[in-house]
Amino acid sequence: MKHSRVVVTGIGVVTPIGTGREHFWTNLLAGRSGIGPVRSFDTSAYSVHRGAEVHDFEAENYLSNLDAAHLGRASQFAIAAARLALADANVEIASLDLERAGVSMGTTSGEPREVERFDDLFVSKNLERVGPEFLALYPSHVIAAHIARELQFGGINIMIPTACAAGNYAIAHAFDVLRAGRASLMLAGGSDSFSRITYTGFAQLGAIAPEVCQPFDRCRKGMIPGEGAGVLVLEPLSSALKRGARIYAEISGYGLSCDAHHMTAAHPNGEGAVRAMKQALEQSGTAREEVGYISAHGTGTPTNDRLETLAVKRLFGDAAYRVPISSIKSMLGHTMGAASAIEAAACALAVYHDRIPPTINLREPDPECDLDYVPNHAREHTVRVAMNNAYAFGGNNASLILKKCEEPQKGTKSTNKI
Amino acid sequence: MCFLWLVNSMRNRVVITGAGVVSSLGDSSSSLQLSLCSGRRAVKPVELFSTAGLGCPLGGEIPCFDAQKYLGRRNLRPLDRTSRLVASAAQLALNDSGWSGSILNQEEVGLVLGTMFCSVHTISEFDRRALEVGPAYASPMDFSNTVINAAAGQTAIIHNLRGINSTISTGITSGLQAIAYATEVIRSGRARAILAGGADEMCFESFYGFDRAGLLCRSEHSAGDFPIPFDKRRNGFALGEGAALLMLEDAHFARERGAHTLAEITGHGCGYDCSQGEDEESAVNSIALSVRRAINDASAGPHEIDCLSASANGSHAGDRHEAKGVFAGLNGQTRKLPVTAIKSMLGETLGASGPMQAIALLETMRDGVLPGINGLEQVEDDFAFDMISSDNREIDLETALVNSAGFDGHCCSLVLARCNEN
Repeated sequence: MKHSRVVVTGIGVVTPIGTGREHFWTNLLAGRSGIGPVRSFDTSAYSVHRGAEVHDFEAENYLSNLDAAHLGRASQFAIAAARLALADANVEIASLDLERAGVSMGTTSGEPREVERFDDLFVSKNLERVGPEFLALYPSHVIAAHIARELQFGGINIMIPTACAAGNYAIAHAFDVLRAGRASLMLAGGSDSFSRITYTGFAQLGAIAPEVCQPFDRCRKGMIPGEGAGVLVLEPLSSALKRGARIYAEISGYGLSCDAHHMTAAHPNGEGAVRAMKQALEQSGTAREEVGYISAHGTGTPTNDRLETLAVKRLFGDAAYRVPISSIKSMLGHTMGAASAIEAAACALAVYHDRIPPTINLREPDPECDLDYVPNHAREHTVRVAMNNAYAFGGNNASLILKKCEEPQKGTKSTNKI
Repeated sequence: MCFLWLVNSMRNRVVITGAGVVSSLGDSSSSLQLSLCSGRRAVKPVELFSTAGLGCPLGGEIPCFDAQKYLGRRNLRPLDRTSRLVASAAQLALNDSGWSGSILNQEEVGLVLGTMFCSVHTISEFDRRALEVGPAYASPMDFSNTVINAAAGQTAIIHNLRGINSTISTGITSGLQAIAYATEVIRSGRARAILAGGADEMCFESFYGFDRAGLLCRSEHSAGDFPIPFDKRRNGFALGEGAALLMLEDAHFARERGAHTLAEITGHGCGYDCSQGEDEESAVNSIALSVRRAINDASAGPHEIDCLSASANGSHAGDRHEAKGVFAGLNGQTRKLPVTAIKSMLGETLGASGPMQAIALLETMRDGVLPGINGLEQVEDDFAFDMISSDNREIDLETALVNSAGFDGHCCSLVLARCNEN
């Protein structure tokens, strides 16, 4: 059986630097930061106070069937991103075979605010005020379920909560589902809401930067927790061509591996990360030299950025110095389970527009991070192949390959450029 | 049919070479089967936490669970209850399938774990400590267990599982969905050996959530009378806990390494009910779709299914939707279909439930006994099952259907076939 080729035809994002593809991409290329003082909860008991939150988000704008009052924040983001992605892909829901329209989503925490509310009531001895909504809103699988319920999608519905690499896992799974012919359209991505639990945890690990996120800089001080969602419309190339859809990029392969080393620390020689990248290149039949952009996990912690650089060098050898690499977390903060989905969106746009978003706040080079990180300014550069890397708690590593789609397109590429 | 055969012949076949289970009714396939066939019930008054003020005092907890029994003198301090359950089941499954440390180091064995909550208890405790004594007192070690993939990550570290490591959450169907996911990964040639299954622990936080949602059984008589899947008197389910993992391998690879094969996974399918159980027709259709997709994927016909291990757990709407959905999915051929529902004894073990059903069926394939449904006396009149009762049934099991259907829309089905070459 010949596997279907899978392409990205729609992009929907809700991020700290903007909602919707155009707004997001413009701000990303301009190097705008979405980091500011935390507003979601009082941080006075913490030694750090900054985060990357989504402001001015109105869930009602994206809901036709469900009620925002009965949805957690991550579900709201996810539905908004899904609606935006479908609109961007110019897909009419009425035209779909709904039993073959599926959802594959990733997350780190699911709906943490629901358990935080439970905990607030527990601690204040008001637990009796917890009602049926806790079970209906909390478990992580509700995010994918709520998208399907809002859109009436009856196909495969799956949640892959593999922490900070979850978006890549979810897109990789959707890619497999479409290749095997188990669906005709998949919405795939990730979503997370700003969480007190996550913030507390990273603060306790000493991983949060006090002011800015400055990946690969010698003075980098850590990551900045964030929130958001990214959803891609994936479909077989044949269906995209048939309906004359704009094709951003083709997904051509992925690699997944596990360090089996430590829950929160990466393997000291980047062993698992190298295996994931290698598998991804092999599956997509891509030579290392063809890679024109690497979207780094790039959290901004001293260890991550050093080990990630080491892993890229181990796999790419001398070619590592010629591949532009950037971390958009410098602008977005770390949007957790959404991060690699939003980064996959950035890769698809880099491939489509031949432009690479920068790593901002990169002033002082680090001798241990000596690659080309596209410092501070976006760059025009032909990107035939982009590699999206993501690493997570649990030693979960995921690399995704997006390529220019080498097919004659009936689409309207030039008029849709922004 | 010819086309289907062609499709199937082009992909790798997936076999089960071992099983590991830690349950309230035994920690091996055979002890679980023995308990199920002797009608033992794990559902009893809960002892792990106080149920004062809750509507349901019953649950199927694992008494005196001690992971050290399975994992020896390893340092288990960083592992919470869910992670300990999974790491223990993984050890048992590795032993059962003949994977020792030395070959594990050469091969990248994967782990795909289905879980509804991982540990909401760990998450909640971490947060409550920060609330009660300040964020500076929250434990960094506990934080690493607040991610939903913690149990899969911890188990990978304990057993050096360096292959694909993924966590799947689709509510009650998580475990079966994890097996389906791993099956696809092996079929496509991406991996040769994956531990796949599911787990959920019994804890106050999830128990409280289910109780508040009104889904748990209410015993009006003595403790232990309920739940009764498919019975007219059913009024909810009991929560359970456990971990169950299957070692899935590429058939060719398993044969080459001389592994004993217990069964083949020939098909899987799933569906999603957008009404989340509110609309009966939609709920029934999605279960029917899931069953149909699984038997089509297995290139089997409804008449070839020898028995059903149902997801039914005693919930009023859920059991009805499943009975009707399986009827529709098998084109009405359910009258002569032997049916079991082991959640009558184990309770609803969430992520572990589907894999536990599969493991029990592996024993039925071996010993020819399908456990009865404990307590079942009055089957609902319009359920088209005749071969269903509280008594065990002798069957010659070649092809089995395992079903998993959640209360909130997810459904997943698996077809298992006996491997006759062994």
